[in-house]
Amino acid sequence: MERRKNKIRAAMSDRVLDVLVILICVLVLVLTFYPFFYSIIISFSDGQDALRGGIYLWPRKFSLENYKAVLRIDYIYNAAVISVLRTLVGTLVSLSFSGIFAYSLSHKNLYFKRFYMIVLIIPMYFSGGLIPYYMTIRSLHLMNSFWVYILPNLVNAFNVIIMISFFREIPESLEEAAKIDGAGYLRIYFQVILPISAPLMATMALFIGVFHWNAWTDAAFFITDKNLKTLSFVLINLINQTEAAAQLAQTGVGTLGVKQSTIVGETLRPAAMMITILPIIMVYPFLQKYFVKGIMIGSVKG
Amino acid sequence: MPRSKNKFLKGLRSQLALQMIAIAGLFVLAVFAYIPMSGIIIAFKDYKSAAGFVGFFTSPWTSQNGFKHFIAFFSDPWFGRVLKNTLGISVLKLLFSFPAPIIFALALNELRLSKFKRVVQTVSYLPHFISWVVVYGLVFTFLNTQTGFVSRIMVDLGLWSEPYNFLANESTFWTLAVITDVWKELGWWSIIFLAAITGIDPGLYEAAKVDGASRWRCVWHITLPGIKGTVVVLLILALGGLFSGGMGGSNFDQTYLMGNNVNYPTSMTIGYYAYQTGILNQRYSYATAVGLFQSVISVTLVGLSNWSSKKLTGEGIV
Repeated sequence: MERRKNKIRAAMSDRVLDVLVILICVLVLVLTFYPFFYSIIISFSDGQDALRGGIYLWPRKFSLENYKAVLRIDYIYNAAVISVLRTLVGTLVSLSFSGIFAYSLSHKNLYFKRFYMIVLIIPMYFSGGLIPYYMTIRSLHLMNSFWVYILPNLVNAFNVIIMISFFREIPESLEEAAKIDGAGYLRIYFQVILPISAPLMATMALFIGVFHWNAWTDAAFFITDKNLKTLSFVLINLINQTEAAAQLAQTGVGTLGVKQSTIVGETLRPAAMMITILPIIMVYPFLQKYFVKGIMIGSVKG
Repeated sequence: MPRSKNKFLKGLRSQLALQMIAIAGLFVLAVFAYIPMSGIIIAFKDYKSAAGFVGFFTSPWTSQNGFKHFIAFFSDPWFGRVLKNTLGISVLKLLFSFPAPIIFALALNELRLSKFKRVVQTVSYLPHFISWVVVYGLVFTFLNTQTGFVSRIMVDLGLWSEPYNFLANESTFWTLAVITDVWKELGWWSIIFLAAITGIDPGLYEAAKVDGASRWRCVWHITLPGIKGTVVVLLILALGGLFSGGMGGSNFDQTYLMGNNVNYPTSMTIGYYAYQTGILNQRYSYATAVGLFQSVISVTLVGLSNWSSKKLTGEGIV
């Protein structure tokens, strides 16, 4: 009797839990998704019409003008090319370099391994700060150079540590077998280790790629040449400038021609934002399943 | 003696490729991490940028045993402000950004509709992958006074008589910083906790079911204690980051992007202050001193929280 009562009570509180859990998840879903959704519908809305407000679920007056206007922005093509180039080159180079570095450090029998690990980890906690870093970049003649985007990011301690954990899990017998066949460490890495590290590499490629695509501080601090600015940085300027543009359009004061006055900061900005996150949205679903696994591996060990 | 030395050299030789790779990696670190680290020395000197890199070592030491810049910083009227903002925002972030992913991970774990679960998860990590610049754009779109979504909807629904100025406003920056941080990182951190939850022995749940425990009880008595280790490690990291900005993140981006002339009394954080005095105002030695102060406190905080966590719970990072 007592147990039955307990079970009924348990079943009822389980119901409450179910409802609560669904509520939380729906809340997160809506709050996370709606800002993007709203930006998308606004970006496809006619500028002047959007200023009247009241658009919440669907564009009222559909328009592609905003996207066309974004493509007319000063230096946008340049910035896009730079960002794409930087992401491709940076990801490839960082991935290769960090990968082989992590491979080396993952060997149990590596001489001075402890020392190497300490050297790797210290900068994660302690750094010289912005100014000495700035000075270093200057002295290396990396100011206003494309390579300032690539070289400092060759080794990222966090990524290297994740890769080391992964490589440590690979059975030593694989390496032993290859050694018996006469392969050197480099060949082992490329022919044995890499092929079975696809999930790891996909995860790392996503992390590093996203970092490069979104990075803007290096463009802000070290680059003054407009031709070398990245898309993220151009976007910052756009957002700040559209304040002025939006105000102009609002008060109706301004010398914008009739054709142009349908372009309004309010709708221009989301269009630019959507273009910026487009590559990420395209790549994200494919790599998503890999990186969830990757994090699981890394954190269960760590 | 000679025999073991031979063995050492022989072993080294067989690893030659590995050693060279490791050294290459260390070389990159030396250039981009350790050389800047050595630049800390200019915090104690009167460095003039014209002196270039060599000037790191040849510039004269400053007065007051080299601590002139530190003393200047501590007595600067901004010192208290900057400290208050940095710590205030970080502590708030800790209070909200830390429990939220845990709760979310617990909720996700209890969700039984697997398709819905997958959708929620996928969408929840998305904000982590967009840059702070885009987040700022979203904030602007939603909160700007004239055309922002929030102002519009509140006025439309008749709840407000006129739009509220969220962005050029001293009192809102802290809240904005915390909310955007939670929004951006909730999904991401929840992955870590979810991974920890999957590490819990399923047998425990089965035993509890047999005893008639409700799912609430399972969550409270099995799941939460089961992830204690992960929670502690992340808490240590978060506490260590208190001075730079929350859980391994940084206050800098938020201050740079959302800070403006009106809200700078509440948006000026220590990282941005170093940037402003250093790169914008070119007070290089001073800014380095500020940065050094920040680094030292951060390391101390990490060390402290690691030590105290070891004392209290027996778990730690190091």
